[in-house]
Amino acid sequence: MTVYELSQNSQFNVLTMPEPERVINGAYVGDLLSWVMGKAQYDNIWITIMSNINVVAVASLSDVSCVLLAEDVTLDSEVLNTAKEKGINILSTPLAAYEAAITISGMI
Amino acid sequence: MKELSLNILDITENSVKAGATLTEISIVESGDTLTLTIKDDGCGMSDEILSTVENPFYTTRTTRKVGLGIPLLKMAAEMTGGKVKIVSSTNEANHGTTVTAHFFKNHLDFTPLGDIKETIVTLIQGHPDTDFLFTHQTNSGEVKLDTRELRVALEGVPLDTYEVIVWIKEYLNEQYQLLDNR
Repeated sequence: MTVYELSQNSQFNVLTMPEPERVINGAYVGDLLSWVMGKAQYDNIWITIMSNINVVAVASLSDVSCVLLAEDVTLDSEVLNTAKEKGINILSTPLAAYEAAITISGMI
Repeated sequence: MKELSLNILDITENSVKAGATLTEISIVESGDTLTLTIKDDGCGMSDEILSTVENPFYTTRTTRKVGLGIPLLKMAAEMTGGKVKIVSSTNEANHGTTVTAHFFKNHLDFTPLGDIKETIVTLIQGHPDTDFLFTHQTNSGEVKLDTRELRVALEGVPLDTYEVIVWIKEYLNEQYQLLDNR
């Protein structure tokens, strides 16, 4: 499944999607950024509730295909602009991380 | 970072990279606050660079374009209601950088200090030719290690000699035991 395909599901909202064709091959859930940096895998969708510029940096370093902000967490526009510039897809969902992971699991 | 001591390791590596001959690492615990100060006499940063260090997309690394040392420390401090302040100078007379981080220890999101002894030993072992002054003050007393004093006592024996490293570890263990028992 691509990030674009996920974004077509009404439970997932696009905050920025500069690379819609990136593939989602699995999910990683975590909020401790240094931990995520070492554990999230290439092409995972990373589900988190953290919301600052460091999220974009960690997503860029770990080369995840998408960041999913759970529980309707939002990002300010400056952070979103940086994400767009760096080619990082960011979606949000009202679902909690567990439900979001289950939903995605059923789609890939 | 899971432990503040890993942040300390990260920030101090920047000091060494900036050519510091002495890096002072101080931890002061008082009431519900913890203040971490890392002060070096390295080359310092221009105002222009200083204004970008809190942004993870600024880094001195050449291998990749993202640097998270200061951003993660800032986040760890701010998550507890604290803050980070950085002062730097490139003046010939007083060049160097001082990073000060304030934490509120009673906040639920306070990151534990972790194995600071191991961090100090790792720094000395990795950079035996630069000096470190480590102090940790709590309400019950102070732990202190000054590699300049060690160097005088060792009369030319390198700090990364196996026996010296073992001694430093034991010394720090003893100091912390004394502190804990007070």
